[in-house]
Amino acid sequence: MPGLTFEDVSITYSTSGRNDRGEVHAVKNVSLTLPEGGTLGIAGESGSGKSTLAMSVLRLLPKNAKITGRVAVGDTDISDLSFGQMRALRWAEASIIFQGAMHSLNPVQTVGAQITEALALHVTDKWKTAQLRQDRVKELLTLVDMPADKTASYPHELSGGQKQRVMIAMALACEPDIIIADEPTTALDVIVQKQILDMIAKLVSERGISMLMISHDLSVLATACDQIAIMRYGEVIEVGDAREVCLNPKEEYSQKLAAAFPVIGDTESRMRPVTRHGDQPEDAEAKIDFADDGPKREVLLEADKLNVTYTSSGFKVRAVKDVDLTLHRGEIIALVGQSGSGKSTLARALLALQDTDGGEVRFAGEKLPAGGRELKAFRKKAQLVFQDPSAALNPKLSVYESIAEGLRIHRYQGDEAEAVAQALTDAELTPPERYFGAIPQELSGGQRQRVVIAGALALGPELLIADEPVASLDASVRGEILGLLLKLRKKLGLGALVITHDLGLAWNIADSVAVMFRGEIVEQGPTEEVLMNPQHEYTQQLLDSAPSIRAGAA
Amino acid sequence: MSSSVPPSTSAISTEANAEEPQRDSSFLRYISTKLGGAALSLVMVVILGFFLFRILPGDPVAAIARERQMTPEQVQLLRESYGLDKSLGEQFIDYIVNVFTLNFGESYVYSQSVSSLIADYFWPTVLLTGTAAILAIILGLWLGTRAGWKRNSRFDKFVSSSSLVFWSVPTFWLALILLMIFGGTLRWFPTGGMVSLDAPSDPLGYSLDVISHMVLPVITMTAVIYAQYLMVMRSSIIEEATADYATTARAKGLKEDQILNKHVVPNALLPTVTLVFMHIGGLIAGAVTVEAVFSWPGLGKLTFEAITGPDLPLLQGTFVVFSAIIIVMNFLADLIYRRLDPRVRRA
Repeated sequence: MPGLTFEDVSITYSTSGRNDRGEVHAVKNVSLTLPEGGTLGIAGESGSGKSTLAMSVLRLLPKNAKITGRVAVGDTDISDLSFGQMRALRWAEASIIFQGAMHSLNPVQTVGAQITEALALHVTDKWKTAQLRQDRVKELLTLVDMPADKTASYPHELSGGQKQRVMIAMALACEPDIIIADEPTTALDVIVQKQILDMIAKLVSERGISMLMISHDLSVLATACDQIAIMRYGEVIEVGDAREVCLNPKEEYSQKLAAAFPVIGDTESRMRPVTRHGDQPEDAEAKIDFADDGPKREVLLEADKLNVTYTSSGFKVRAVKDVDLTLHRGEIIALVGQSGSGKSTLARALLALQDTDGGEVRFAGEKLPAGGRELKAFRKKAQLVFQDPSAALNPKLSVYESIAEGLRIHRYQGDEAEAVAQALTDAELTPPERYFGAIPQELSGGQRQRVVIAGALALGPELLIADEPVASLDASVRGEILGLLLKLRKKLGLGALVITHDLGLAWNIADSVAVMFRGEIVEQGPTEEVLMNPQHEYTQQLLDSAPSIRAGAA
Repeated sequence: MSSSVPPSTSAISTEANAEEPQRDSSFLRYISTKLGGAALSLVMVVILGFFLFRILPGDPVAAIARERQMTPEQVQLLRESYGLDKSLGEQFIDYIVNVFTLNFGESYVYSQSVSSLIADYFWPTVLLTGTAAILAIILGLWLGTRAGWKRNSRFDKFVSSSSLVFWSVPTFWLALILLMIFGGTLRWFPTGGMVSLDAPSDPLGYSLDVISHMVLPVITMTAVIYAQYLMVMRSSIIEEATADYATTARAKGLKEDQILNKHVVPNALLPTVTLVFMHIGGLIAGAVTVEAVFSWPGLGKLTFEAITGPDLPLLQGTFVVFSAIIIVMNFLADLIYRRLDPRVRRA
C-alpha cells in the first residue's frame, strides 16, 4: 500500500492577459512525506499553496501550472504516467473528499448516479455488474450513516452534512489507498463538523488508508491528523508531530496560526483576538474598561417574547419562539447556535427586515416603527454586516461609491467625501484616499470586510448586527476584524450583536452569550459564565464539538 | 442569568434529521399554477388586442369605399355589417363573445372568415419558422458548447465572431442578397412563394418542390438567429466548466469529453433552454420580414397585408394567435425546465 511523496516540488502558474501577474510561484521547493496508513495535515491560509499542492497529486491543476520536482504515489512518479494511466489512477488509488457541502456534487444528478459513475469507471471484480454496483452504493451510504434510499436524492435535497457524507462515500467507493481531504468541514457548523471529522478519522484508520488533509483551521487538523505541516507563501515552514506543532510551535507564524482560534477558558485570549501585528494594547484597555462598568448601561435594543413563523408548503415553522433579548449600549452579545437554529431570522426580525407575529422589539426604548420616515431613521442607526464580503459588495461599484451609497440614501448633509474618508479611517483602511477608487476585486478578503464595516459606520450607527462576520476570512484576518469590532465599540460606543456558530469568537470578543437552539434562546449570560459553566445540555454539546488544538493532547 | 430547563438528550438535534427536506412532488400544483398564469396572460392579450387596433389611424370602411363607387347609404350599410356603427363598448362585448367561439369576424380585405384565413396561413409559418428554429438551436447549441469548452481557441474566435456578424446583419438585407444571388443570378432556388404552379402532384415531387422554396428563407432566418443561442450556451458552458463538480468528475477519472457531455452540458443547458423557448415564440412573430421578402404564404405575410388595410378583424386574429403561440412556448419552457432541473422538479 503506497504512501505519498513530494520531493522538492515547485509549482508555478504562468499568467497572461488581463490578470497578468507574470509567473506566480504557488508552491516552492516543498518536500513532504505521507507514510503508508499515516495522516498528514497541511495548514495554511488562502494563497499559501496548500490546495495547489494537493491537486498536483492527481494532476488536476489547470494547464498554465508547471510542476517541477517529484510527486509520487507509492513508487509511481505521476509525471511518468500517460494521460490514460493517470485517469486509471484517479479515484482508484487516490481519491479526494472535496468540500462537498458546497458545489462539488453535480446538482442535476442523483447522488447514487454520481457514486455509481466512479464505480463504473474503475470496475473491479467486486462490482462487475450494474446490480453489484447498486449494492455497493447502498453499502457505502450505510457506511457513512446515511439511509440507503438516499441514492435517489439530488444534492439540493440533502443538508450540508449529508452532502459531505455522500462525498466521503464517493471517495471511499473504489477502495483507494490514499484520500486527500480538501477543507472537508469548512462550511459546516461545529456539531456536524465533529461528526464528519470523527467519521473520516474512523473510516480511514479502519481501512489503513493514508490521508492528506488540508485546512485553514489548525484545530481541525489537530483532531484528525498524526502529523501537521504549516505552509505559508508556498513554502512549508514547519512540519512535525501534530501535538508538537499545535502546542509547541517553533515558528512565529505557526504560533499565530495556533493562537488564531482561541482555547475557551484561556484568559490570555479573552477579549484579545490575535492579529497579524501582535497584541494591540488598546484591546487590553478595552477589556478593563468594560469589565468595570458592566451591564448597568442604557438599554439599546430589547426583544420581548418575539416570535417568527414561516409558512412553507402548508406547514408552519416556528423559526423564532418567544425570544427575550437585551442589548446595552456598548455591549457585544454573541448569538450562537447551529445552522437552522433561527439566529439569522432573529437578526432580521430585530432589524425590522422580517415580519414577526407576536412579541415586540424596542430600540432605545421605542417600539420599532412599521414604516415611513421613522423606519428610515431607524435603518440609519442599526446596520448589518454580512458573512461574505465578496457577495455583500457590488462588484461594479468602487469602494467610495459603496460607502457613499448609504449616505446618499439618507441625504447626508455634510461633506460626503469627508464622511467616507472618516468611515474608512474608522475601519482602519488608511490612508482612505488610497481605497476610494478600488473595486472589491482588487482587495483582499479582510479589506473587503473592512469596506463593508466602513459602509455601516459611515451612517453613524448605534447598533451593529454582524452575521458570521469572520466565517469566510483567513485566521489572521479574523483576529484583525474581531479586534476592529472591539475598538469600534470602545471608540464609538457601538452595541453589537454578533451571530456566529463559533464559540471561540464569543470568547474572543463578546461580553455575553446567548445560545439559540431550535428557535429558542436556551441559555444566556456573561460569556465566562456560559462558556465555562454551561447549564444547558445543548451549550455543552456545542462546547464539546468545537475542535481544539489541544485535541491531540487529550 | 442562565435560564430554561435542559431538554432530554433525544431532543438535541444531530444534522441527520435537522434539515430533512420535504419531498413534495406537487406536479399538479406546478402545472396548474403555470397554466393559470398562461390563461391569465392570454385573456390580457385578447383584451389588449381589441383596444390596440382601435387606436390605429385610418378608417377601414373609408379605405374600402375609396376603391369603389359607393353611395353614403352603401357605406353606412357596410359599416353596419362590420358592426363598426356600434359604440366601443358594444363592439368590445361582441368581440369578446366571438373570441371565445374562435370567431374573429370576417376579413375586410379577403372577404373571408379570419379563422379560416389564419388556419390556411398557419401551417406554412410553422413549417418555415419551425425548420429554421430547429436548425438554429442545433447549430447554436452545438457550436456554443464547443466554443465555450475550448474558450479563446481559434475555433471559438472564428465561430463567435462570425455568428455575431450574421446577427448584426439586418434580416431583410440578408434575405434580399440571398434572393439576388441564389434566386436571381444563379437561379438555383425559386425567388418566392411556397409551391410552384406546375408542382408535381406525387408526394415526393411535391415535397421536394416545397423544400426548394424553403431553402433561402430558412437559411436567412437561421443565420440571423443562431448567434443568440450560441452566445448563451457558450457563456453558460464557460461558467459551468470551472464549477467544482467538474473538478470532482475529473478527479474521478472521467475523460474530458465525458466531463463535458455528462456533467457540464446538462447544467449549462438550464439557463439556455428557457431562453431558447422564449425565443421560438418571438421567432414566429418575427417571421414577418422574411415572409414578406420571400412572399411566403404565412401569418407574417398575412399580418403585413392586414396592417396596410387596416383590416381590423384580421389584425386582431393574427395578434391573438401570435401571442397565444408565445404564451404556449413559455409554458413549454417551464415544463421542460422542470424536467431538466431537479431543484425545480422537487422544490
